[in-house]
Amino acid sequence: MGRTATLAAWRPDPGNPKQQVAMLVDTTECIGCKACEVACKQWNQNEYRINQELGTYQSHPSLDAQTWTLIKFIEREDEDGVNQWLMQKHNCMHCSEAGCVTACPTDALHYGDYGVVTLDQEKCIGCAYCEPACPFDAIHVDKSAFRQTAQKAGKCTLCFDRISNAMQPACVSTCPTDCIKYGDRGELLKWAYARVEQLKAMGYANANVYGDKELGGLHELYVLLEKPEVYGLPVNPTLSKRLTFWKYGLQPVGKAILGAALFGMVINWFAARRTFKGGHGPGEEAEAPASLHD
Amino acid sequence: MAVRSKVKIKKFSRAQVVFHWVYGSSWFLLMLTGMSFLWRPDPGAAAVGLGPLLQGTVGQSFRLVHRVAAIGLMASPLTWLVGDFRSLWPDLKELLRFGINDARYMLIAPLHYTFGKPALPPQGKYNGGHKVNFYVVVLTFIGFVSSGLLMWFGRGAVPDGTFHMAQIVHSTSFWLGAIMTALHIYLTAVHPFTRRALSAMTQGFVELNYAKAEHKVWVEKEIAAGTAVLVEEPGDC
Ligand code: HEM
Ligand code: SF4
Ligand code: SF4
Ligand code: SF4
Repeated sequence: MGRTATLAAWRPDPGNPKQQVAMLVDTTECIGCKACEVACKQWNQNEYRINQELGTYQSHPSLDAQTWTLIKFIEREDEDGVNQWLMQKHNCMHCSEAGCVTACPTDALHYGDYGVVTLDQEKCIGCAYCEPACPFDAIHVDKSAFRQTAQKAGKCTLCFDRISNAMQPACVSTCPTDCIKYGDRGELLKWAYARVEQLKAMGYANANVYGDKELGGLHELYVLLEKPEVYGLPVNPTLSKRLTFWKYGLQPVGKAILGAALFGMVINWFAARRTFKGGHGPGEEAEAPASLHD
Repeated sequence: MAVRSKVKIKKFSRAQVVFHWVYGSSWFLLMLTGMSFLWRPDPGAAAVGLGPLLQGTVGQSFRLVHRVAAIGLMASPLTWLVGDFRSLWPDLKELLRFGINDARYMLIAPLHYTFGKPALPPQGKYNGGHKVNFYVVVLTFIGFVSSGLLMWFGRGAVPDGTFHMAQIVHSTSFWLGAIMTALHIYLTAVHPFTRRALSAMTQGFVELNYAKAEHKVWVEKEIAAGTAVLVEEPGDC
């Protein structure tokens, strides 16, 4: 199968921000070297955290606010009792319908150009509403930071600062096997489906493409050897119903009722001003003011 | 203005007044700082609404103030408990008793306070409206405190669905509470007739004439029992 040499020179069209870019990870080509993790930390100046889980080659138990990409190691026996050692480069999927963007109360998280979900840490207030809203556990807020103002969300930015300057994402350009490919989303999908056909012909019956339709289309695509659930990836993920109810049900209804109530008060005020002239109530005794001495 | 009486009757103790304002000011701070979370429009659209004003350090400071004010809100009942324990049970007992008279009051009140009629059924120390306000306050207090503490300390530790449920409970309490607050402030500080009740929560006293019109049952009972505390104010009130 063609290496990314065909895609290496690829740049998004600077005049067409609507163009959809993506990263495609062909997990069958990944050797688990973690060069992408290092490149990501280095380019984004993220802290190195020694956080290794014993008994696995995985470097961190999960993504965190300073760890934006992670090679997940899955060791298992397949249906035929054959040992399998699977790797999946995990990071933000840049969802077209993103839970994190829906939950974010500021504009820190945003649907940016080229289909990238951007995160502006300057704007972030560290509320962590994005954390439980992400179906992929891909965004985190630094809880270890002592000062509240240092608590910010962190996630893969698809190296927006690089790709908008005609460079490739740091992890892509460092990958020694070229298993991370970067380019036009449509083109990558074509490549991915062709690769899956090839894998099936080689006997990998469960090979599949992940990310084409999920959540309106992800901008991180995968060629997987096994079913998504084997990698811990959600099958047909959806936005949390509670989250969408909070955002699109409660909020507009609350605003409408509050608005109607305020309007009713204004109307009442105009009418009541005439009814209760001088603040005098109808049920009030009309005789001279009550006094202690009469 | 001839009807304005110079005689006032005592309605609330100092501790009750202090409680009201500690609760009210904490609530107001919480409302202002919390509101920012609910004013970001559809994220697909260009940024308009309050969100952009509250980014970065401004928003983070708001979150800090929200926590400080939350402690104030949660601690405020102590002022009443410690300051005037004796009034607690009699007042709560009356507030918790919602009868047919209160229901009729609630039905008639919107018309009465707009057109002056039909007449309202005579009320005790707390009318149907006060009672409904009290229920909303208690309900939202429980909602705010339980969901607020969960979001504060349970972040990352509770399942995602539980966190979202807390967001829903907190928001629902907010909308319910915000509407009630708007009405409460309107009736006690703006409405031409009922704003005369405001002094009850500033000085603890309310005009006797007003009290007779609005809380007939209570005034008559207090006078008959000889427990009414009356003062005469010099000059205009
Ligand atoms: C008294 C206990 C309260 C506690 C412990 C509390 C705590 C919290 C916490 C932890 C959050 C999440 C955002 C963040 O981490 O900064 C929050 C959000 C919020 N708070 Fe409070 N709060 C309390 C009372 C109130 C009150 C009285 C109001 C309004 C009058 C209020 C309005 C809000 C709103 C509107 C939000 C965002 C709403 C949402 O996400 O659904 N809170 N509060
Ligand atoms: S994967 Fe998570 S963090 Fe990334 S865009 Fe989707 S919801 Fe947001
Ligand atoms: S932590 Fe930051 S990015 Fe996440 S929802 Fe809050 S403001 Fe948005
Ligand atoms: S695209 Fe950039 S931010 Fe995302 S994982 Fe790769 S190096 Fe890290």
